[in-house]
Amino acid sequence: MSVELRRARNRQMLIFLLVCVGMVTLMGRLYYWQIVRGDSLAQVAANEHIQNQILNAPRGVVYDAREHLLATNVVRDDVYIEPIQFSADHGPDIFQSALEELVSTLHRILPSVSEEILYKDFNLELQTVRIASRIDPAQSAQLRSLQLPNIFLEPRTWRIYPGGSLAAQVLGYVQQDDQKSVGVYGIERQYDQLLAGRPGSFTAEFDLSGNPLVVGASAEQPAVSGADLTLTIDGTMQYIAQTALANAVKELDAKSGTAIVVNVRTGAIVVMAGVPTFDPNDYSKSATLTGCLGQESVFFNPAVYCAYEPGSTLKAVTMAAALDQGLITPDTTFNDPGYRTFNDAPVVVNWNGLGYGTESMTQVLEHSANVGAAYVAHDILGPKRYYPYLAKFGFGQATGISSQEETGLYRTPWNSPKIWTPGDLTRQAFGQSIEATPLQVAMAYEAIANGGVMMRSYLLAVCNNNGHVVTTQPEVLRRVISARAAMLLTGMLRHSATDGFARPAQVPGYTIAAKTGTATTQGIPKDKTEASVVGFIPATNPQFVVLVKIDQPQNTIYGATAAAPLWKYIGQQLMWYYHVPPDAV
Amino acid sequence: MYSLNKRIGGNRAVPPRPILAAKRRRQLHPFFFSMGPVALCISSTLLIGLMAILYLTQLGQAVTANQRMQDYQAQQAILRRQNQDLVYVISQEQSPQYIAGAAKALGLVPADPKAVHMLNVKDLEHIREIDPHIQP
Repeated sequence: MSVELRRARNRQMLIFLLVCVGMVTLMGRLYYWQIVRGDSLAQVAANEHIQNQILNAPRGVVYDAREHLLATNVVRDDVYIEPIQFSADHGPDIFQSALEELVSTLHRILPSVSEEILYKDFNLELQTVRIASRIDPAQSAQLRSLQLPNIFLEPRTWRIYPGGSLAAQVLGYVQQDDQKSVGVYGIERQYDQLLAGRPGSFTAEFDLSGNPLVVGASAEQPAVSGADLTLTIDGTMQYIAQTALANAVKELDAKSGTAIVVNVRTGAIVVMAGVPTFDPNDYSKSATLTGCLGQESVFFNPAVYCAYEPGSTLKAVTMAAALDQGLITPDTTFNDPGYRTFNDAPVVVNWNGLGYGTESMTQVLEHSANVGAAYVAHDILGPKRYYPYLAKFGFGQATGISSQEETGLYRTPWNSPKIWTPGDLTRQAFGQSIEATPLQVAMAYEAIANGGVMMRSYLLAVCNNNGHVVTTQPEVLRRVISARAAMLLTGMLRHSATDGFARPAQVPGYTIAAKTGTATTQGIPKDKTEASVVGFIPATNPQFVVLVKIDQPQNTIYGATAAAPLWKYIGQQLMWYYHVPPDAV
Repeated sequence: MYSLNKRIGGNRAVPPRPILAAKRRRQLHPFFFSMGPVALCISSTLLIGLMAILYLTQLGQAVTANQRMQDYQAQQAILRRQNQDLVYVISQEQSPQYIAGAAKALGLVPADPKAVHMLNVKDLEHIREIDPHIQP
């Protein structure tokens, strides 16, 4: 073999060996990527392409009794900027001018975002920064049409209340963050699970723009929309009552107020208004406001959450207990010198210190005589015949209408054996030493108006859960007093409205049965009253129970002067609105 | 069952001529016809090309459909959003405070309950039935 041939063979061998080494190296590398790192890299790749999107379920809407929307959803955009990408896309030579132009454009479209903040945000070392939230549709359209660099819009669903503060304390509000929405207070809280629905999911491969690819495997679990609710609240009457209540509270320089209208025949709540109130579209502004005489947050519904001493309005309950047991008649008389002493309880005096001499039970209500009520409770009824009626009328028990409800309380010889005294009984007879919510008082009168039968109060009329419709049927809770006792008491309350202190509540053309109350709380000055009127209209064929309560009015402090005019106004509007024929002509 | 010898005629079979046997060895029988290697290569290439075209066509159609679907979805989202906005505007304009404000702007004033006069019409029968709308 020649030398040249040998050299050629050696070169070939060397090249072959180099190729072999290269191949082995490549094989090794291939083994490393495919076998050693294969699984983890496949996972990373899959994560990059396959995404799981949460499909948010649309929250159910809320209607009033006339199918007008009280709460619904709208989509609004949030505006984001990409500071790091903006810096990368614009070199140092053009960065400042491009930034100035962009900031100026953004500020022109979004005047609420200052240029200073925008400059600051663009200098942050972050991938994305949200610069504005919930912008107007017009602003969204402008930004979309301009197609500004490194700016993108993210749509987000928002809960919105077209009526603003209308029935706000009944509705509550929804607390929304980037992840989820939770109903807080009112109907939004009580029926949160129903309203929220069930979110779904969508798993698929996505392209670089984040759009799902139909080619390839995908799995979808559709979202289930929330249930739509229809309330018993009538938006128009609610507005009338709420506006009138707000005006009354302002005119009387009062701290707060409550108005309730209940359908006598069904127990449905037609109006439930509280003042002060809030706008659930912008609830954070009212975070420091307080209702319930400044004791509770304004977000609570005062009709069910603010217990108070109902005062003389409770005299009707005392009379009901005695009438039902046949212990008195409306004409039963006793001597009222203006005070009464008891051997086991403190002396009771009439609110005005006046004595009325021989006085019938009807006149006790007309005069709103504390002495008469205490006499009936202490001398005629006694604890064993009085307290079961307080329980039957629903005092001290939740109505079940709300998840945030006060039950109220009162002492009895059985629940407070050590601290109860007969003095409690005499005071409870005219509405002191007992705490009740405005709704409990209204429902007690509902039972009287409904021939002695108490209906279950309710706010939710219809629940439409994706086609599965459930309608609330009026439900009899219990018979509280006999029909005869209810009729006699209605007659007494009519007298209270024609000849008694509830006279200013009279509605022209209609008969009413009503009782005023001017409650004072122990430990609070006497002029800090809770003025109220509760009754029903028309008295001959009761349709609505109306309760009006004004807390600590300054200009006039009595139920007859502070609350009765508003009661009259609401009563009249109710009769007109529902075309109830006059019964007093 | 029978053996190979039995099937091809056993010892009585005439052995093929060497050249013919070599030719047959070089020929391939993909299906029911004979094909030379060049023809096989060409037809395989054509077949693969055809399949690739078919696949790419399908893929193109799928991508187009995907794009169209995305467009529809985007359009649906826009329409849904517009619908929600319109429902909101309608509900806002149906709300009592809006109507009250609009009425006020038109110069209307709320009826004064004090100005109401009740008229007694003689021999008029009392209506006991009330408006059915009273039931919430």
